[in-house]
Amino acid sequence: MVRYTLHVNGQEYEVETLDDTPLLWVLRDRLKLTGTKYACGIGACGACIVHVEGEPVRSCMVPAHSVKHKAIITIEGLSSDLGHPVQQAWIERQVPQCGYCQSGQIMAAAALLKDNPNPTDAEIDEAMAHVLCRCGTYQRVRDGIRLATKLIKEQA
Amino acid sequence: MDVIRLDRRRFLKVASAGVFGTGLILAMSWDERFFVNAAGAGSSKEFQPNAWLKIGTDGSVIVYTVESEMGQGPYTLMPMILAEELEVDWQDVRVEHAPLKPVYGYQSTGGSSSIRKGWATLRSAGAAAREMLVSAAAQQWNVAHEECYASQSRIVHKRTNNILGFGELALAAAALPIPGKVRLKSPDEYRVLGTAVPRLDIPQKVNGNAQFGIDVDLPDMLFATTVHCPVLGGRPESVDDRQTKKIPGVQAVFAIDNAVAVVAEDTWAAMKGANALDIEWNEGPNRRLDSKKIRAQLQAAARAGGMVTTRHGNVSRVLKTGNTIRASYDLPFQAHAPMEPMNCTAWITDGRCTVWAPTQSPSAAHGVAARYGLSKLTKYKDKVARRLTREKLEAVEVNSTLLGGGFGRRLEQDYVAEAVQIAKAVGKPVKLTWAREEDIQHDFYHPYTFHLMEGSVDASGKPSAWWHRMAGVGDPGAADLPYAIPNVRIEVTGVDIDVPTGPWRSVSHHYYAFAKETFFDELARLGNQDPLELRLALLRDPRLRGVLELAADKAGWGKTRPDNQFLGLAVHHSFGSYVAEAVEIAMDGKDRLRVPRVVVAIDCGIVINPDIVAAQMESSVVFALSAALKGAIALENGRVQQSNYHDFTILRLDEMPKVETYMVKSTESPEGIGEPGVPPLAPALANALFAATGKPIRSLPIDKKIFVQSV
Repeated sequence: MVRYTLHVNGQEYEVETLDDTPLLWVLRDRLKLTGTKYACGIGACGACIVHVEGEPVRSCMVPAHSVKHKAIITIEGLSSDLGHPVQQAWIERQVPQCGYCQSGQIMAAAALLKDNPNPTDAEIDEAMAHVLCRCGTYQRVRDGIRLATKLIKEQA
Repeated sequence: MDVIRLDRRRFLKVASAGVFGTGLILAMSWDERFFVNAAGAGSSKEFQPNAWLKIGTDGSVIVYTVESEMGQGPYTLMPMILAEELEVDWQDVRVEHAPLKPVYGYQSTGGSSSIRKGWATLRSAGAAAREMLVSAAAQQWNVAHEECYASQSRIVHKRTNNILGFGELALAAAALPIPGKVRLKSPDEYRVLGTAVPRLDIPQKVNGNAQFGIDVDLPDMLFATTVHCPVLGGRPESVDDRQTKKIPGVQAVFAIDNAVAVVAEDTWAAMKGANALDIEWNEGPNRRLDSKKIRAQLQAAARAGGMVTTRHGNVSRVLKTGNTIRASYDLPFQAHAPMEPMNCTAWITDGRCTVWAPTQSPSAAHGVAARYGLSKLTKYKDKVARRLTREKLEAVEVNSTLLGGGFGRRLEQDYVAEAVQIAKAVGKPVKLTWAREEDIQHDFYHPYTFHLMEGSVDASGKPSAWWHRMAGVGDPGAADLPYAIPNVRIEVTGVDIDVPTGPWRSVSHHYYAFAKETFFDELARLGNQDPLELRLALLRDPRLRGVLELAADKAGWGKTRPDNQFLGLAVHHSFGSYVAEAVEIAMDGKDRLRVPRVVVAIDCGIVINPDIVAAQMESSVVFALSAALKGAIALENGRVQQSNYHDFTILRLDEMPKVETYMVKSTESPEGIGEPGVPPLAPALANALFAATGKPIRSLPIDKKIFVQSV
């Protein structure tokens, strides 16, 4: 067992877990931040993506205590009011269907656009290729990213 | 069951009168059970004239839906139907899942039937409420009912332009009698239906607030997971849990049904505990089961004979003398693999059982929870009916959550049976979550089927005989041939193989349409016919011809294409809707395939929400493309060989074609949209490959590497 502090969405949490408990399960079961999802547990699907110091990280693959003292943002912390350009674009383009993978899609897209506000199609492919969606919303995910780049330009 | 019995034939007859703008007058016999608030007995705070809606004094309108939301849109579509007749401003509409009360009938979502089931009832419910609001306003203004009309959550008096909002009228309306007659709109009067109103469930799905079954949280809740015998049908013989019990947080290990449950303080400890178990399995009778043997059994069954489901003319005679081709089709098991793995939360206390589940059938979950939670039944496979007392049934509550995908898998309630048994054992609220590996390896699979076909063409090149025998695990389903071929015989045969199977998006239509539509192209080539022209010549149903022509036109059938690009077509009628698809492929070398574009044409009758229809077509294309080009389920030594998304692969974003959806304008009754887009995809793709290579595709997944789209 290990005891440590996690910084999530601007708040500090003291937790005690097994030393191999992935960040995903601490977020979901301890902090009750269930927006980040479990779908594969092997880093293959992206449903668990969060931002650690601004970088997209598959939280099922990372022991939670290894990211103590680092700023973690989950889908719940992306905005307080659906105001992030990716969220606005997702609503405008009606991207989600069942919605289960969409936290991962949005976090991956937000990370891409933070580093690269005007990505090419190939760069979108590379960033999003391993964020899986069984409902097949990919066409709208792509459209959503393109709209988000426009919104980011307008809001700049 | 529907309590407002609207005879479908009578509805269609009256509806056609309504097309000319007179609307639809319905005289209904009102069933007491339809109403939760009989006239005069209203609650003091709201207007609830029937089980389908509630209007608050603040003007908010809650619509109750019995359909499970797994991405296909009923949480928006069903309220739209009611909202049209109610004349409510869409901004004021909220949706809630209807409780499991008898007034709502048996709740189960599948077969792309939500709209068809709710179409009459929801319109009547909305219209009745509207009429009562109009009456309330008319009374308040002391004017005639006919001088007032409803619009955008308000009642307006034509002469004076006086306005009263629904909220202001709610309590007065609640005191009025339910009308015996209501007028329903005709399609030319629709303001909401046919428009792309934004989905009610999307905002919560982009900020992490959406609650799926796996997200349920209760005070003092424990977390569990179950492991099942890797050999299908096996069970635990002995369990060594010494290593598991050493893991801090693990609270209990025990066997239930044919699985072993681990209960812990969080999901990770439970799953880690499950991995640390040393289980000796009694592998049972299926340890020699494998895909090759299954194929052989199905092939033998297909060769032996089948039950005739369609016959005319004399197929055997014509095939003996004609110009014929033969084909056999080998279509494997498929998994559902929804992104949200199987899960259920249950709490049994004080003789009451409460369940939270992402289920496609709350009613089925209710029965299962009563059986396994409150009585001694333990084996989910035991379908023996047990008499359940009324007390037991009333002591169970099922809460439906959002579903992270369903596709037919969550029509089974095995995860509910497990969760309630675990809850019974530990006496606390428990959330059961299956690992992805359990989800892939303990599915109710889309069944393996093997098909034999033989067909001939006459001297003019037109098909003269068509024979199709379909063998499948379990019951392969009945089939119909829409082509005017003079000699036809279709037969089916089911083989008892101990692999659990169940409905998978589009069910038997998926494999039946694959064989039918690809064999058709082979016959077309044999007779030197264009596949589009031949279909148009032989299709009797104008709605099938309509979508086919639309898809072919939009895809540019017959136009010159670059040398490495080919087009394939297929058309199929399922779940009430007619869908044709044109798949465009680009061959970059012998084994490198790109699918840049899919054109979908659908006739689903009245379109409720065109954006949701388009989304369902995109979704169906991706689902079918995954089964055509990516993963499948294989068995060896009784074990499913795949375990996660790395070896049961599904389509990725970089492999996605551009999907264009075209909807036929129609005033026919609205039909299904969740599944009909699946059956035509694989055969259209195979037909494109056939055009490209001259080699027919007779098995799935297609043995070509799909590679990234360079858009």
